[in-house]
Amino acid sequence: MSTELIICVGSLFFLAGIGVPVAYSILIASMAYLWANGQSIGLVGKNLADGIYQSFLLLAVPLFIVAANIMNAGTISDRLLNFCVAAVGRFKGGMGHVNVMASLIFSGMSGSAVADAAGIGKIIIDMMRKDGRFTPGYAAAITAASATIGPIIPPSIPMVLYALVSNASIGYLFLGGILPGLVMGAVLMAMNAWMAHRRGFGIDEPVPLRELPAKTARAFPALLMPAILLYGIYGGLTTPTEAAAVAAFYALLLASLFYRALSLRALYHIFVDSARSSAAVGLVIGGALILNFIVASENIPAMLAGTIAALDVSPIVFLLGVNVVLLVLGCFLDATTIILVIIPLFLPSCRALGIDLVHFGVVAVVNCMIGLITPPYGILLFVINAVTGIPLREIIAEVWAFLLVLVAALLLLILVPDLVLFLPRLLGYQG
Amino acid sequence: MTRVLNAFNRVTESVAALMMAAMFATFILQIAVRYIVGSAWFAANFGHIVEATTFGWTLEFTLAMWLWIVFWGNAFIVREQDHVTFDILYLWVRPSVRRWLAILGALIVAIGLLASILPTWDKMYILRLKSSATLPTKMLPIFSIYFLFLAVVGLRYLWRALEAWRHGVGDEGHHLVEVPKE
Repeated sequence: MSTELIICVGSLFFLAGIGVPVAYSILIASMAYLWANGQSIGLVGKNLADGIYQSFLLLAVPLFIVAANIMNAGTISDRLLNFCVAAVGRFKGGMGHVNVMASLIFSGMSGSAVADAAGIGKIIIDMMRKDGRFTPGYAAAITAASATIGPIIPPSIPMVLYALVSNASIGYLFLGGILPGLVMGAVLMAMNAWMAHRRGFGIDEPVPLRELPAKTARAFPALLMPAILLYGIYGGLTTPTEAAAVAAFYALLLASLFYRALSLRALYHIFVDSARSSAAVGLVIGGALILNFIVASENIPAMLAGTIAALDVSPIVFLLGVNVVLLVLGCFLDATTIILVIIPLFLPSCRALGIDLVHFGVVAVVNCMIGLITPPYGILLFVINAVTGIPLREIIAEVWAFLLVLVAALLLLILVPDLVLFLPRLLGYQG
Repeated sequence: MTRVLNAFNRVTESVAALMMAAMFATFILQIAVRYIVGSAWFAANFGHIVEATTFGWTLEFTLAMWLWIVFWGNAFIVREQDHVTFDILYLWVRPSVRRWLAILGALIVAIGLLASILPTWDKMYILRLKSSATLPTKMLPIFSIYFLFLAVVGLRYLWRALEAWRHGVGDEGHHLVEVPKE
């Protein structure tokens, strides 16, 4: 490790540590690296602008953000929620199951865990707290935990970022996420059912079964969205980036024409908010690409691969080790930085050990999403705290049980690659 | 003064919204052109009134919009609390210490960004000669937004340092999300 790199990493941690936004910490740290190296600090801007301008794949990020904001602004979320209540609200632990199921369905549209938690998550938490059937902390914790499913089931912004650094096929990554997302939903529902029995959470008035078809019909056009998206990509009709635009367009048509729930004024605010969050995320991504470039030019990934080859570890031990490292880092770093800067370090080792990059990618993204709810630095915990006012302390006290089952699900995905690779192989993935 | 600032914010916001809408619409146009104008059905019914090949600019235009959204957005409409920030230490220390952390951090960012304007110009100046692949312009005007970003964000952080110096910092928990509007 060169002195320049130590200066870079040191200034990054120092600036981020004293509360400078991550994006600017990265830019300044990259400048410090170039300056120490005797190069022009103007290269930062050149690389940043080139990185953003040359990556067509990254365009999916702002488009998925637009799609998510449209879904949350129209009545699409309400309709889906009513459908979920009618379908699973009748069981013990009712609204908890509704919560998980809504996340499963929503994840087929938004691609962003933060959008899921802030949008539909808030509505469900309010429903769960009504009449005091669930404690606020429990409602918030299960919402945070189920929002992690969002970016596992396609579409998914983190998987787009992983595809960018690994060159793995985004289409197969999306397919590979479907079964793991369902597994995560299943373990969360199981935990919720067990907790509901143990703590005696009340049951909601079941929606009569004869109303189910009507509720399904009203939600049906929205339920079609994931199907349209996947068909677009796998039918070869659109690139994944274009599929994101189609998803946003479909949401727009549904909300404005079909459900008539979107005014021009609301649409304007959707575009302003989307531009705001896209810009903030885009700067972090651009910065992380520069760091990625610095780390690669220092030859660190290859050195790491050499060290690991010398240690002669088996692929499974390597995977477990990497996942422990990522889980620990997830307590302190945000998912974008981990995926764009830390994960590329391990890619050469994966190739050397014969680990499938789609399997590794899905496992790593699941891991990073778990990182979103690990205290002390769990973005989803902050988001829910911000939108509902439920104290962080209460959320954290309740989140451990869900964290436990999600880590168990992660372990299962590591040990059984077929869970990830079954669907991609079914559709022709050679890996 | 406040009215001027509010009006300015509204203008910069609407420019950002417009760029976002333009990017989105261009994408839809690109897909529509490929599948509708390029189809045999369209050719049979409407002949060649629209040529699909005249739409080669869409891809690069969306990338240019994305670049501008990122830098324009961070210059004008992204607020301090919209950024991803690790504020565990920042919020943990006493307000008097926090004030100094805010001043120090803001000064470093401001100096770094402002100091890089000239070196960046040296690196990008060559782009005045390079033509864009499909848009009727050179590359320098497209990338020029980065200079606006450096200057505006640099000045914003100088201002932030000054404000922290004069008034201290409040109990601002700047987490990354904005609370969605009801």
